[in-house]
Amino acid sequence: MVRRFPPSALFGGSAVLLVILTFMLLPLAVVAISSFTASQFLVFPPQGFSLRWYGEVVSSTAYLDAAWVSLVLAAAVTIASTAIGTAAAIAIQRRKLPFSAAFSGLFLSPLVLPTLIFGIGLLIVFSVYGDGPSLAAIWVGHVVITVPYVVRTVMAVLADADPFVEEAARTMGAGRLARLWFVVLPQARSGIIAGGFFAFNVSFDEAVIALFLRAPGVETLPMRIYGQLEFSPSPEVAAVSTLMIVMTVAVIVLIERFLGLARVSG
Amino acid sequence: MGFLDLENLTKRFGDIIALDDVSLEIERGTFVALLGPSGCGKTTLLRIIAGLERPTAGRVVIEGEDITRKAPEARRLAMMFQSYALLPHMSVLENVRFPLRMTGRESVAAQREKAREALALVKLDQLADRLPRALSGGQQQRVALARAIVSEPRVLLLDEPLSNLDARLREDMQIELQQLHERFGLTTVFVTHDQEEALSLADRVVLMRQGRIERDAGAEAIYDDPGTPFAADFLGAANLLPVTPGAEGASVSLADGQRLGLEGAPALPAGRDLALVLRQEDVGILEEGAEADAGRQTLAAEVVAAIFLGARVRYLVRVAGTELRVLGPRQPVFKPGSQVVLTFDPAAMRWVHEG
Repeated sequence: MVRRFPPSALFGGSAVLLVILTFMLLPLAVVAISSFTASQFLVFPPQGFSLRWYGEVVSSTAYLDAAWVSLVLAAAVTIASTAIGTAAAIAIQRRKLPFSAAFSGLFLSPLVLPTLIFGIGLLIVFSVYGDGPSLAAIWVGHVVITVPYVVRTVMAVLADADPFVEEAARTMGAGRLARLWFVVLPQARSGIIAGGFFAFNVSFDEAVIALFLRAPGVETLPMRIYGQLEFSPSPEVAAVSTLMIVMTVAVIVLIERFLGLARVSG
Repeated sequence: MGFLDLENLTKRFGDIIALDDVSLEIERGTFVALLGPSGCGKTTLLRIIAGLERPTAGRVVIEGEDITRKAPEARRLAMMFQSYALLPHMSVLENVRFPLRMTGRESVAAQREKAREALALVKLDQLADRLPRALSGGQQQRVALARAIVSEPRVLLLDEPLSNLDARLREDMQIELQQLHERFGLTTVFVTHDQEEALSLADRVVLMRQGRIERDAGAEAIYDDPGTPFAADFLGAANLLPVTPGAEGASVSLADGQRLGLEGAPALPAGRDLALVLRQEDVGILEEGAEADAGRQTLAAEVVAAIFLGARVRYLVRVAGTELRVLGPRQPVFKPGSQVVLTFDPAAMRWVHEG
């Protein structure tokens, strides 16, 4: 395969790849390396080596509380958006629904919607019609922005699935619910898992909507990090971020291990 | 009234007429092939029987009960799909148990037992715990077959049952299907575009063309006497030679003036535009000037091409401007361009109306 490309293209391609990798990974590397500093402030290159800041993070109630809030929030968001996204993807994919194309566009639109504007809008809506900012409001906002990921991944795996399996199940006496349970959901499974993973990550990481809709006394992890940075650039931030990176990579490895990443990312 | 009656079935997809007023009575225990080229409506007909397609008009009646509006899941029929359509996340045994599980009439243990028996019938009981993707194509198909027969369906429907298999597996499957049919007498309807598949498996062949039934006869009868040029062509008899009946009715003449006597041949049907049907295996090939055996007909021909098949040689020959296919022995080989004599028994001659 590779041999078919002229050397200039090969060189150009590698250069672009290298630049992209550098810009994607370098910031992460800088954060991870700085987290081991022994100094009082976040600096790069780090001065000395110490696990002190990890200790600070793990023993800090503020961080632990924020992490717990983020975890619960992301879990709740994941449950809701996989349920909504999967149902939407199945309905759109069968084109049984009138205006399938319009629905498809509608469900994917939050991907292109600026979160900032969406956040302001949501704040106004909740202030006028609800009790104002709250964790529930953040949850609603996160569900809206994460549903498209699930819709996309589930539609992608369903497009590849053998449509005759469901017909075969019908001839074997499987009614609507039985077919959903025994045929369609297993076919969509890898897409649901991948979409759920995206949803979890996006919610866990999201700061804009969370900042607009923050209720007093309730803090998510990104909000906590942001607040900490604003107040003083402590190496704690780097340690927390590194932990987040490690967690994400661990989940990716698990998915790759049990499902194959190529299959789930469609 | 048969066991399964298809009454005046019509199916339109928009402007396309897939089935045009098709009626068929199928007796209990028969093995019926729906044969035809793609787009002839055979698959639509099978899907209508299964309930996966609603006819635009007409009725499907089984054992006297009109099931036209019944959902597929309530029909108690079984269908084996061309892609096998196994449930990929379930073991072989669970796949075969699935129809019983959906009916839910027996205990799980009894269902497993029945599924094991069905798997034993297709000789796959030792692979019961594997996942379908760990099986070869031929094994997957046998799982699909076991799954189709496990619930003792009233009618077994097969969609191109042999088309995805290589030559050796086809033969195995053919034998498997025949044995199952003999053993259980399941009423079976299958779709195929392959005349050999139809003739080898079915008692009855329904040849379809453009949404209609072209010919409906026993497997041997339809091969022996196709009846229409389309049937003759589709069933591989293929050799159609246009003839003009002589004035006295005792001979026919070809386009180039050659004459054939009709002694010992089936009676010439009335009307014009006739063609002589000759199956390739009934025609012998001799060198120019050789004497044919007494009582055999002869025609002068020119070899167009010779294809060595191993045991035999297939010739494409031209007679009176029409190309015919003929099987010859391995020796002697006639080169393209050489003049030959075709001989055949007059009893093997068949007639069709052209056009």
